[in-house]
Amino acid sequence: MTAPQAPPIVLTTQALVAGYERDLPIIRGIDLSVMRGEFLTVLGPNGAGKSTLVKAIAGLVPVHGGAIRLDGQDITASPAHTRVRQGLAFVPQTENIFTTLSIQENLQLAAAILPKDKRQARIAALYDMFPDLSARPRRRAGQLSGGQRQMLAVARALVVKPSILILDEPSAGLSPKVVGDVFARLRAINRSGVTTVLVEQNVKAALGVAGRALVLVEGRVAHEGPAATLGDDPVVAELYLGARHSREAMAT
Amino acid sequence: MSPQILVDGLISGAMIGLGAIGVTLTYSILRFANFAHGEFISWGAYFAFAVSGLLGYLSGGLAAPIGPFSFGWSLPIAAVASVALTAGLALLVDAVLFRPLRSRRGAVIILVMASFGAALALRNLLEFIFTSRPDYYTTNLQIAMRLGGGMRATPDQLLCLGVAAVLALAVHLLLTRTAIGRSMRAVSENPQLSGIVGIDIRSVVRMVWILGAGLAAVAGIMTGLIVQIRPEMGLDLLLPLFAAAILGGIGSVPGAMIAGLIVGLAEALTVQVFGAEWRAAVAFVILVAILLLRPQGLFGRPE
Amino acid sequence: MILHLFSYGAFFTTVALTYAIICLGLNVQWGQTGLFNVGVAGFVGLGAYVSALLTTPHSAEHIGGFGLPILAGWLGAALAAGLATLCVGWLTLRLRADYLAIATFGFAVVVQLCLLNLQPITGGALGIAFIPRPFAASAHDPARFGALNLAVMAAVVLALYLALERLGRSPWGRVLRAIREDETAALALGKNATRFRLQAFAIGGAIMGLGGAAQGHFIGFIAPDNYLPMLTFQVWVMLIVGGSGNNRGAILGAIVVWGIWALSASAIAAVVPADQQARTASLQIVLIGVALCAILLLRPRGILGEVRIVSRHLLPGSRLRQRLPHADRR
Repeated sequence: MTAPQAPPIVLTTQALVAGYERDLPIIRGIDLSVMRGEFLTVLGPNGAGKSTLVKAIAGLVPVHGGAIRLDGQDITASPAHTRVRQGLAFVPQTENIFTTLSIQENLQLAAAILPKDKRQARIAALYDMFPDLSARPRRRAGQLSGGQRQMLAVARALVVKPSILILDEPSAGLSPKVVGDVFARLRAINRSGVTTVLVEQNVKAALGVAGRALVLVEGRVAHEGPAATLGDDPVVAELYLGARHSREAMAT
Repeated sequence: MSPQILVDGLISGAMIGLGAIGVTLTYSILRFANFAHGEFISWGAYFAFAVSGLLGYLSGGLAAPIGPFSFGWSLPIAAVASVALTAGLALLVDAVLFRPLRSRRGAVIILVMASFGAALALRNLLEFIFTSRPDYYTTNLQIAMRLGGGMRATPDQLLCLGVAAVLALAVHLLLTRTAIGRSMRAVSENPQLSGIVGIDIRSVVRMVWILGAGLAAVAGIMTGLIVQIRPEMGLDLLLPLFAAAILGGIGSVPGAMIAGLIVGLAEALTVQVFGAEWRAAVAFVILVAILLLRPQGLFGRPE
Repeated sequence: MILHLFSYGAFFTTVALTYAIICLGLNVQWGQTGLFNVGVAGFVGLGAYVSALLTTPHSAEHIGGFGLPILAGWLGAALAAGLATLCVGWLTLRLRADYLAIATFGFAVVVQLCLLNLQPITGGALGIAFIPRPFAASAHDPARFGALNLAVMAAVVLALYLALERLGRSPWGRVLRAIREDETAALALGKNATRFRLQAFAIGGAIMGLGGAAQGHFIGFIAPDNYLPMLTFQVWVMLIVGGSGNNRGAILGAIVVWGIWALSASAIAAVVPADQQARTASLQIVLIGVALCAILLLRPRGILGEVRIVSRHLLPGSRLRQRLPHADRR
């Protein structure tokens, strides 16, 4: 390593165009930079392309234009499984753990790309970080509760010590109490130095943990700014975050 | 009813089971019913036939029977070569046919159809090369040993049973205890998540073909040794293979093996009761029954 | 000489048209509905034998022989094959897509087995001879006989073609297409989607049975060997070459492929020494097998493919099937 310090930008997309069908792109030209150590949340109404954006970054949705760079390397054309090796960890919204495999096996699968002598120690470190999982490591992951599943999915993503952790709606299907627990855990993980990108429908919870927010509308970036002030902006709240946020804001 | 049914059924069931393991792996990991799997059985048998014939020609000593068995060292050596060649054949068919179709992300049924075309081409290629006349690994006759309880078996048959049991156990351990086995189970459950986790799906696919075709080759060699070698032997086994894979529960290796034994025993019983000409109907009856009563199979999870 | 050529041409075209009937049946199942039938030979064979049993004169060699008119035989064939497809479809259509393929394959194996072994009914390996041929009265005049049979077969194909085209444009046909092309529509219809698929599958099976009967009566003799997996394969190649989803393609494919098949077979018979002919025949099948795979790989829409309809099946980028693994779940 010649650079004394890692560069401040972890991930960028340039004029990214992506979608399942070439003539019907869902992401229509997005420029994005994620700074090292930050907690970025991506918001927007249903169908804005939030999920598609992170799936394209993870290599699950075809990219039709623009570029994706991770730590300065162009990964636009890399298959999903090599992006993990380059430091990108993605937690999908649903089906994000192997339910027929045990907790231990889920973690072992992720650890397989680490050097042989490091695997055991890394899995042990994650059990320390997520004590719920360490109680019965041979348990089938399908038997876990919703919150525990999310924790296993996050733990699995962290096994490789990624330079960036991307989560697609981890709050989906969880009770408000569990959402609170999960998000507190995400904040702690970010504070420990893991750059985090969070796609969310649950605007209030997301703004509570993120430092910076991005609002997507119809496949483009419509607003960008500090998370703390975004909710105060009445135009943004009404236009892009929908009535749901206003209702929630009133309820509190 | 004679207890001999048990021996006959277990022996043919062991070969069905070995073939069904390959079918169940292809089905659960590559996600299509491979109608060409039976042809790997026939090609495996003929590869071994060609290699052992060549070895016997080069050195007469290799053809001399080993101990109580009917074959010489040329056959075990040829079997190893045949497993490698059959695996190579499967990888070749995948590279020119299935992989391009997979990368197109079309409907699964196109893969099934392509496998049907490949099966016909592969089978008739064998018939072109070797003609439809049956061949044999050895012309030595064997005397069946008494096993007690009125059952008899030749040393060859007992050896085949033993080899099948060891191989099925080995594949089961490979799937449950090793890293590649873990990856295979992961891809079988969720290929997309497997990519995200960092599993190279191409290497898992290669492993499926090598395992499936290798086991098929062994099943073919055993069938060739105990019965005879014909270009249609794989086609005749195809329905029992599918019946066993579905009966055992798609994706379950122990299930495929046990279901193979069940199909084999049912066939032996049918031969005894209704006559040999109805053997081929047994697999269909089992298939219909399982689809009616428990479509997920004995050891499968409901969808 | 010209007369001879004419009767040969009429014979050839009539046989090709019987294949066109079977191919139209397969097109209802695959082209319109996306159901993969690997047991075509079984349904065709069932139709041929049912019709033969209904129409042949009473015989000492086998049970059956009711001496009914040919038309009754054809109807019985369509009915029997339709019922059989209904049963196989009912068993598998609610399950994974490939289970249908496996079950139809098994059905054909069992039909083959029954034809061979139920000797008192089917005549065993020797089959059934003396099946009444349409216009048998004019058999002494080959040209007239050939022309009449050709006319009847052409009329049957034309009637089927018109009926299927009409059916395809009817509300029923539109629902079928919606089910096939749009998984959401299929899900919204739920159990009804399965019923529509089942209906289409049975109609296709009945047409195959009719094709088998028509073929049997025209040739006048049937045996189990005519209904091997090879037949299934030939009909598939015909449909794929013509372009699935397209009734005109199905007919054209049947004629073209049958033509290539018959010509290459007679070329082999003329050129290759007798003791090598079985061998060369297998090479012929190898080439056709490779051709099917090549068409699937290179030109999935066939000669006359219907771009819009077939595209969802064979072309990339269908959003509904972007996840290959789950495309087979219903």
